[in-house]
Amino acid sequence: MLVIEQLVKRRGGRTVLDRVGFAARPGRVTAFLGPNGAGKSSTLRILLGLDRADGGRALVDGRPYRSLRDPLRAVGSMLEGSGAHRSRTARNHLAWVARSNAIPSRRIDEVLHQVGLAGEARVRAGRYSLGMGQRLGLAAALLGEPPALVLDEPVNGLDPDGMRLVRGLLRGHADGGGTVLLSSHLMSEVAGVADDLVIIDAGRVVAAGTLTEVTAGHESLEDAFFALIGGNGETR
Amino acid sequence: MRFGPLLAAEFRKTATLPAAWAGVAVALLGSAGITVLNAISARAAIAAGHPELRAFTSVFQTGYAAAPLGTVGAIVIGVVAIGSEYTSNNADAGGGRQVTTTLAAIPHRTGLLAAKALTVVLLAVTTAALTIPACVGIAALVIGDATRETVTLDEALTRSLGAALYWTLMGLIAFAVTVVTRSGMFPLIALIANSSLVSVSLLLTRLTPLAFWLPDMAGRRLFGGLSTVEGGLDAGAGAIVMAAWTLALLATAATVFSRRDA
Repeated sequence: MLVIEQLVKRRGGRTVLDRVGFAARPGRVTAFLGPNGAGKSSTLRILLGLDRADGGRALVDGRPYRSLRDPLRAVGSMLEGSGAHRSRTARNHLAWVARSNAIPSRRIDEVLHQVGLAGEARVRAGRYSLGMGQRLGLAAALLGEPPALVLDEPVNGLDPDGMRLVRGLLRGHADGGGTVLLSSHLMSEVAGVADDLVIIDAGRVVAAGTLTEVTAGHESLEDAFFALIGGNGETR
Repeated sequence: MRFGPLLAAEFRKTATLPAAWAGVAVALLGSAGITVLNAISARAAIAAGHPELRAFTSVFQTGYAAAPLGTVGAIVIGVVAIGSEYTSNNADAGGGRQVTTTLAAIPHRTGLLAAKALTVVLLAVTTAALTIPACVGIAALVIGDATRETVTLDEALTRSLGAALYWTLMGLIAFAVTVVTRSGMFPLIALIANSSLVSVSLLLTRLTPLAFWLPDMAGRRLFGGLSTVEGGLDAGAGAIVMAAWTLALLATAATVFSRRDA
């Protein structure tokens, strides 16, 4: 379970996260929704130990990410696309990632197949398309067979085929008892796969609950989303 | 987190980076090229019967004379070991930097930095172990037995270790500076220019003797037997001062790296 509690983050005098709190539970796909700049990536970066919070905490099964031993076996993550150096091939990138967390190297081929990159395993990441980069990022996230997945805008730039693949993958992961937390600014991509929603706007959580709860009284998720962020937190 | 897999991953990561190979190539091929030129001049001077026209004509000295320039290769290795983490991927490929993957995989930042620094040491020492014997070999091929070797084996070994130590320390200094700047451009240009074209620290010694305590000036006598400016520290004290600089810069880098957002 991923738990975010009262997170506060300030950057240059601006409060980018204002007491953000929610949980992503096992067996469910939790979508973290909000417009660009609302604080989605900032929250995920703190959860993954990349950035420090000015207040509050983020825990993975009760522990801060930075204290995890072989963290990729607990949480698979994708931020900033492929996360590979441009001169590396997919295989080379996954090889050092696997070694860093003592993940058996057979997993490299397995995940390359899983995300449909087996044919491009020897292409350098700098020559990848946006969608291929996303697939490589996803492959790295799956490498350690982690119970939890944290993905920042995972369907961004994917072709319809890729989107379907990702949705299937995330659904399968949650149905197998895993935890999935994904962020997105695109409603339509999320509506089909999410069980729970957390909506953030201007650094504050404006709604959280199951898909049905959050969309109650609205025609669609999109309507609910705009009604919620339009009120800037007042409609909660 | 165990240090073994961490070091293996970091070593693999840097050693498979084309830019790191460029560093090794600069040291190896650059030094070899200079040795060829020096050796041809030495042979010509010997053949003309005027070996005194050259500072030295011995095979070891001729091969070893290229060692200071090999520092450039060590600097490249030190810079790319960490600078590559912060290079953005092409925008078409989604941008992004490797450092997010690295820190997600290895959240223990001091351990990560230690593994990277050790990688720089291993690569710099390996490069020295290949380059210096190669240069002496080239000098031997070109000059042949036209001259008498004046440097004993013990001395040759000591000087080679001195050069390897200087390379390693400069590589680590370049690494530490790049941790702080998060971009390889500035340290690469500044340190390479200082080691090869114009030594700013050397110029500073004309203004103040304190400049002899700067890392590159302090350590320069590690290149034993090569002519250098008068004054300053001797090889042993100089090595200690240079190593102290290196440790201080690494400590600063570790502090910055641990506290900073990725």
